[in-house]
Amino acid sequence: MDATVIPSLHAKAYKSDVKPVWCPGCGHFAVLSALTKTLAYLRVPTEDVAVISGIGCSSRLPAYLSGYGFHGVHGRALPLAAGLKAARPELTVIAAGGDGDGFSIGGNHFLHACRRNMDFTYIVMDNEVYGMTKGQASPTTQPDWAKSKLTPHGTGMRRFQPAAIALAAGASFIARGYAGDPSGLTHLLTQAIEHPGFAFVHVLSPCQTFRPEQKAWKQMVHPCALGPTHDAAHAAQLIQRDDGMALGVLYAVDLPVYACAGSRPGDDALERIEAELAL
Amino acid sequence: MAGAGDAPAQIDDVGEFLAHALEMEHESSANYAQLADSMEVHHNPEAAALFRRLAALSDEHAGRIAEQAHGILLPRIAPWAFKWDCPGGPEGGDCLHGDLSYQMTAAQALDLALSNESRGQAFYAHVAQTSNDAEVRRLAAEMAAEELEHLDMLTAMLAPEHRRDDDRPQDLDPPHIPA
Repeated sequence: MDATVIPSLHAKAYKSDVKPVWCPGCGHFAVLSALTKTLAYLRVPTEDVAVISGIGCSSRLPAYLSGYGFHGVHGRALPLAAGLKAARPELTVIAAGGDGDGFSIGGNHFLHACRRNMDFTYIVMDNEVYGMTKGQASPTTQPDWAKSKLTPHGTGMRRFQPAAIALAAGASFIARGYAGDPSGLTHLLTQAIEHPGFAFVHVLSPCQTFRPEQKAWKQMVHPCALGPTHDAAHAAQLIQRDDGMALGVLYAVDLPVYACAGSRPGDDALERIEAELAL
Repeated sequence: MAGAGDAPAQIDDVGEFLAHALEMEHESSANYAQLADSMEVHHNPEAAALFRRLAALSDEHAGRIAEQAHGILLPRIAPWAFKWDCPGGPEGGDCLHGDLSYQMTAAQALDLALSNESRGQAFYAHVAQTSNDAEVRRLAAEMAAEELEHLDMLTAMLAPEHRRDDDRPQDLDPPHIPA
């Protein structure tokens, strides 16, 4: 056999033996399935994959995969992933989490991960609710959602707009997928992992326990009107006019990828990486 | 959405057909195994046992297809490029299916399986009717007949004398679900 040929694995090989605790009917199952299919399609060896997460239902993802994983601190998936990519640039690094973890507690990290443009993928499974703590409003929840005792009259705040903010912060790849379209999602994740630079994939992933009305998303999602665009001005128009349910690659452009100079081998590599990423 | 609502495309090559059939059975097995795991985690042993049995059936079917494919070069098809008309594959199931619940009854689980297997049978029947290749038509008709047997078995299990709709598992610590 040619030594350079990587044998292909079936998607099943990327799943661990840990049984997901997600509620049956949860959109996150589709994300797990799409990610394993993507890794199998791209023939990424399991030992070359690291999935880094924060806290929340969706952040349990690394436990259900057979590659390396790190179930980190709330909102800190992105700095952990950036640190790992800096130290081990040859790995396929994927950060994952939910809308609360990524846009509230980790909101500031999101901005800087977009502008730094390190070569890794960030999957946010957005169900517009904190599910693990039993149903509180998150940054993407509608202002008048009044089903939580914490916000009996709604939050009264406008929603966080992930795609618009990613574009404004300088992200080089922005896509939106839907858990009810696992094939489309697999295609988006494949493009995201292959994209050189920071790739943000916003996944509409319904919470069937605390947001059962999200079952209606199936009738609301639609393909992105213009298709992939490399022009930030056009992408801005597309995203601004967007109803939040358009699926596909919203923006993709080749920008210089941040390579951590401190990651060259040496006894002082860690100190060099820390000094460089402190900025 | 990828392929949703479109008619399945034409398949005229034995290798391509067997690649589709294998993927469909693998998807079916993975879907049922995942549901079985999920039901076990949520203390619903009856639905778990049913899904486990269905996963084993799909594995058996996949094994037979793999034997038929022995010596035939199967094309490598991207996960999003399979020629079926539903995004997760005919038997892959819909992870957002409305009936899915940790408290689903065995009858609901059977209904779900019946709808998955019907889509699988329809896919094979469509290929058996539309392919321009005689061997593809023969293989597809054979598999459509086998799926029909699965459907008959599931239908029999759903017969009134076996059906109990009041066997919803008890939840001693229910989530606080908004009204």
